[in-house]
Amino acid sequence: MALIEFEDVSYKMPNDVMALKHVNLKVSRGELVAIVGGNGAGKTTLLKHMNGLLKPASGTVRVDGRLITEFSVAQLSKLVGLVFQNSDHQLFAESVKEEIAFGLRNFGYQPSEVESRVQYAMRRFGLESLSERAPLTLSGGEKKRLCIALVTAWDPVVLALDEPTVGQDHLNKMRLLALVKKFIEERRTVIIVSHDLEFLWPLQPRTVVMAGGRVVADGPAASIFNNFALLESSGLRQPQLARLALALQSSTPFDNVDEAVSWLKQRYGSYHV
Amino acid sequence: MAKVIYEGLKFRYKTTLIHRLDPRVKMVLSIALFALALLGSNFYQEAITFVVTTVPAVIAKSLRRLMRVVALSVTFGVFVVVINLVAGGTIVESIVLAVRFLEIVASTSLFFVTTSPDELEYVLRWLRMPRDFVFAFATSIRFVPVLLMDLTQIIDAQRSRGLELDKGGPIKRIRNLIPVLIPLIVNSLVRSGELAEAMESRGYGAVKKPTSMNTLRMTVRDWVALAIVLLGTTALIWLYLYVL
Repeated sequence: MALIEFEDVSYKMPNDVMALKHVNLKVSRGELVAIVGGNGAGKTTLLKHMNGLLKPASGTVRVDGRLITEFSVAQLSKLVGLVFQNSDHQLFAESVKEEIAFGLRNFGYQPSEVESRVQYAMRRFGLESLSERAPLTLSGGEKKRLCIALVTAWDPVVLALDEPTVGQDHLNKMRLLALVKKFIEERRTVIIVSHDLEFLWPLQPRTVVMAGGRVVADGPAASIFNNFALLESSGLRQPQLARLALALQSSTPFDNVDEAVSWLKQRYGSYHV
Repeated sequence: MAKVIYEGLKFRYKTTLIHRLDPRVKMVLSIALFALALLGSNFYQEAITFVVTTVPAVIAKSLRRLMRVVALSVTFGVFVVVINLVAGGTIVESIVLAVRFLEIVASTSLFFVTTSPDELEYVLRWLRMPRDFVFAFATSIRFVPVLLMDLTQIIDAQRSRGLELDKGGPIKRIRNLIPVLIPLIVNSLVRSGELAEAMESRGYGAVKKPTSMNTLRMTVRDWVALAIVLLGTTALIWLYLYVL
């Protein structure tokens, strides 16, 4: 049984735009899925159906076998933890500790468990030194880490990240990448919505391409990312390393530039200017 | 509820006769309806004013939106009735007061629904209001949809953390607004700071009297409409004072 299942789902925005059109999608437990597409493709709208913030106009969405209409947003959010794109839309508490505790209290955890989960989340995401800082005074990278920490604190079955790399510098992107790899090692179900294919490329996720509210492709990263025409028509830019691998006719994708250089050296030997 | 009120007051571009009038004429129309509402002292007068208010709303194809805002204001109308009854007024007087309140809401809404923020700015400038005040006022209206969008996003984000805004008693519900209001206010303050810097970087305040792309000019249509409004208002005032 799929953990999350969209069956012929359509959704109309208040301004009458069809944000989702007959979407069919299944996500299994422990899967890493990237939902990619240009602006306005319907990615965030799709994500918001997973935790019940939006309900489909037609079709059905099921989480863990049950229709989302059977749950409140609070109940679904316990299963599907959604990290929003804009950290500033969530942070309000007096301290990082309080910020992480907020969701846990809403979900009814006892004070002792709230405390232990808060401490664990801060340790895990390197926020201990910031525990008494006001979240609104943190840097962009620290805010993003906090937002992920406060969602994972209640240990949702699914972790959904909406455009996690927006506004993040290279160092923070690398930190995010390491975090996601850790989640994958822990066999968590992770869904990443992004148009940053360079970030997604090393993760080699199952990739769902959306355009105009529809799912236009769904498959392994290698086949999707190597399809230049598909990506271009969906408003996406092929990752440089994917393009390089394709151009060099490498059978395996390059995770980074060093791998590409090693491949070249192995194939063609060293080249001295 | 806030969204419905906002949708009811938001300007929507249309090409009706009312929309195309000079904003000063629309302002005079709204003020005239406002004054008629205040002058009415019995049920018949207020009823006539109410019907008269619907006429420009129908021409502006905005009657449904206006009625939605008025319908929402009925709660306050009921409050007015109750307060007046408690203060010793009769039921008829109380209802007249409530209807007057609804007419004031309708006449004010009519202006905002048919006048764009740009037109509003021109009118305020024509009234020789201080430039900074006019800019601040017009910008604040322009940013209402942005704030509403922020509010929606914030509510979504906090609901995703288990916050249930519609549960609990009155005290709990008010407390539950804190995680929504703080991010909203902080984001607004940050945005206003950034906007101020952007405006300064684009020369705001460089000269005392900047030029304007558009100026208000009355056409024959505007003069005719103004004459109808003034004559109609005068006739109704006479009717209210000496006949009804």
